[in-house]
Amino acid sequence: MKNDELQLLKLCTFGVDKAIREGADAAEILALKHSEVTTEIELAQISQVSKRAESSFSVRVLKDKRMGAAFTNTPHENKVEKAVELAIAAARVSTFDKYRSTLPAKSRYSSVKGLYNKELASRPVSDIVELTAALIDKSIKTDVGLIPMAGGTGVVITSKAYSNSSGVEHFERVSNIYSTLAAVAKTKDGMTPIAYTFDVKKSWDINVDAVVNEVSETIKVIKKNAKGKTEKSTVVFHPIAYSQILQYTLLQSVQGDNVTRGKSKISNNIGDEIASEKMSIVDDGLYREGINTLISDDEGVPRQKTIIMDRGVLKSFLWDHYWASKRGLKSTGNAKRDLRQGLINITPTTIKIPPGKRDVGEIISSIKHGYYVRDVQGAHSSNPESGDFSIVGNPAVLIENGELRGAINGLMVSGNIFELLRNVVEIASEPRNIMSFIAPEIICENVSIISR
Amino acid sequence: MFEVFETVLGRCSNLGASYIELRGESGFQEYIQMDDEKISALTQRIEKGVAVRALVDGAWGFVSTSSLNKLDEAIEDAFKMAKVVAKNRREPVKIADTRIYKDSIESRAKEDPRNVPISDKIGYLKNIHRIIRDFDERIKAVTVKLRTASGVKYLLTSEGTKIESPVNLIWVYTWVTGKESKRLSAGRHEESSTHEGWEFVQKKATPKKIGELVANRVVMQLEGVPAKAGTFPCVLGPRVVGVLAHEALGHLAEADLTVNSSFNGKIGKTVAAPGVSMTDDGTLKGVLGSSKYDDEGVETSRVEIIKDSVLNEIMTNREYAAKLNLRLTGNARAESFLHPPIIRMRNTFFEEGDLSFDEMLEDIKFGYYCTDFRGGQAQSNASFQVGIQEAYEIINGKLGNPVTDLSISGIATDALFKITGVGRIEDRIWETGRCGKGQEVFVASGGPDIMFEKGGITFGGKT
Repeated sequence: MKNDELQLLKLCTFGVDKAIREGADAAEILALKHSEVTTEIELAQISQVSKRAESSFSVRVLKDKRMGAAFTNTPHENKVEKAVELAIAAARVSTFDKYRSTLPAKSRYSSVKGLYNKELASRPVSDIVELTAALIDKSIKTDVGLIPMAGGTGVVITSKAYSNSSGVEHFERVSNIYSTLAAVAKTKDGMTPIAYTFDVKKSWDINVDAVVNEVSETIKVIKKNAKGKTEKSTVVFHPIAYSQILQYTLLQSVQGDNVTRGKSKISNNIGDEIASEKMSIVDDGLYREGINTLISDDEGVPRQKTIIMDRGVLKSFLWDHYWASKRGLKSTGNAKRDLRQGLINITPTTIKIPPGKRDVGEIISSIKHGYYVRDVQGAHSSNPESGDFSIVGNPAVLIENGELRGAINGLMVSGNIFELLRNVVEIASEPRNIMSFIAPEIICENVSIISR
Repeated sequence: MFEVFETVLGRCSNLGASYIELRGESGFQEYIQMDDEKISALTQRIEKGVAVRALVDGAWGFVSTSSLNKLDEAIEDAFKMAKVVAKNRREPVKIADTRIYKDSIESRAKEDPRNVPISDKIGYLKNIHRIIRDFDERIKAVTVKLRTASGVKYLLTSEGTKIESPVNLIWVYTWVTGKESKRLSAGRHEESSTHEGWEFVQKKATPKKIGELVANRVVMQLEGVPAKAGTFPCVLGPRVVGVLAHEALGHLAEADLTVNSSFNGKIGKTVAAPGVSMTDDGTLKGVLGSSKYDDEGVETSRVEIIKDSVLNEIMTNREYAAKLNLRLTGNARAESFLHPPIIRMRNTFFEEGDLSFDEMLEDIKFGYYCTDFRGGQAQSNASFQVGIQEAYEIINGKLGNPVTDLSISGIATDALFKITGVGRIEDRIWETGRCGKGQEVFVASGGPDIMFEKGGITFGGKT
């Protein structure tokens, strides 16, 4: 089982040694071997099966407090050597930065059992195809006229090795299986918006029925039309919707680089109440079921659980090695390397929002007038610095007298993330696994709604 | 690479696939990111890989590999996977016939970026930083990214198509933050070329042009007034109508999406107000999304999607041209050897009309002029959203205050009927950007100024 990783690690240490011999003050190599088999759905049929097998070696060196990097996708000593030479050449002409002097030191890693599932990795392609076929079959048999238009099933195996000149040597292997279903249905005037959902697992137990049911229930509601009005109102946000708003606003503001560079509105607010006491946010790098979970980050730093917000109080930012060192802090294990660009991004792992007490159905049934926003368009155009957002809820559903009445076309939701978080009045009881978020619905009051 | 391809394809000819396509790439790429005048990434990369696609018993198998010495294995894998899918398909995939081309295209880049010293590239990024920082003391953070690529793409198919074409890329991106007391603002700008070399940054994407454009946007955001919420008459500038053409309408006209979109069944029907025409054209010389052939070896073309307000035709690849009995338009594109080709736009734009800018503004008592955007997204029900980073009030027919961040939205199929004027194009402005439909491709979009009456566009401002 470990042969692949040992081979990767051997190439990493070979490259690191070469870099030091060539005059680098410090060096690291991150290697990934990624194997993915996916089936894709198009027009209610499997459009194709794809297999991607890729090896990646990302080299980073420090020389005279200057940094350079290089990448190769060929797992051979001579290519790794060439990449090391390119990285050193790049470092020689790079900018001087007194904080580019060290790489992470050795640390103890936590243990998370079950990140690699041998059975998952050994499943034949035909099993993956049949799982997707079942997803399609069950979808088209629902009574709401579901048309599965995209989605599919994928099995991903990642082997990772890391070595640096501070003595860190590490390897690990993870596997995941996911299924996604995106569907539409015909309406009187055209088409519904797309409704989609996911299931992510560490073993072969994707719940096809649950995936189809969730999409089907949504489509049933949004096939009907309703009208909204421009007002301040109560909004129930599905995690698919608000996770996107968080991703492009609040989560940008807690990244250590943005905090340090004056790009975060909350850079001086550790210990302050910045949200409703109902709201807590945790970045859990060791969450066993998380699709992003590994025991080390891309700089060989142990992953950890970081409480970002506890009952509305800002507790911590997220850091990689460089930005943490600059501030005299420790990395929180959130370094994610864009292998081809060589850039280290500070990235959340699995964001968890602790649940509340009442079921979302019960909550909706108690709302006299409001909106249920299941997905949004345009969260990526939010202003990450100010936290302002102005997006379209789609699907967005009118709630009247405790019932979901139908979809509203072109309903806009605007505001500022920090105001929105202060207006959270309740959190539903059932967290949903939507890839990198494990979160239930949140209910906010006084949200600006703009209707056509 | 062709030699390896031909040998392997010869060995695999007896597998029984009805079509095999090998797309290879070999090249050198560079990425430099400078944050506040410090390099945070400086990466050079040498990469080689092959995408294999096999059509067997009416189903596709796709394998991407970086191991050229295991190409036989990759083809066999693609073949076996397609066989498994074939059993589960109700309708076999067929592909439209295309002319067989044997061609070798020369790069038109004058100065290959791989031969430009890194220090020159760093100097270029520093100059952009300097111009932005010097623009206004309220500028607090500057990020500039530079991506370059130079290499070769190889396409060999079992039908005999054999095309070698250049890979060129120069991409510059800036993100700037401004701050005044507690108010923060942000602006972005990007420029790119897929046809030119380093001369592109010396002549077109100059530090002065890029720096002043983005810095001005950030300052205007700090000085702007909030937008009102609701629907107002408005004029959308070339960059914004470009993103509307791409996001809100272009995606609906990609044949794989049309089937489940608001454009389904509307070919030949009036879909817009009089005087509105919209085109995707992959043949425009030197424009970002242009190329001679697509990634299935089909010649690119001009696709007149909306012609004189009627939905005229949609974009296809070989599979959808056969399925819907449409002509091949040359819109199959893949980001790289890691992805299969799918239907993508190239250069998408509204055609010009005959109104001057002043004529459009003169009857607007209160409205908005939106000139630049930050991201946009569309949905299958024609709902669109575009984030706006540069806009002005229109008051009594004249441009007024700049407006802070906002976004606009609408239902594209309704909004097209609310167009009340299409401007002349004096000097065409292309928005050069990237489109993500599961994979990234470089696209251009644009058009003239276009006027919408109240009810066409909703403004997501302050309630």
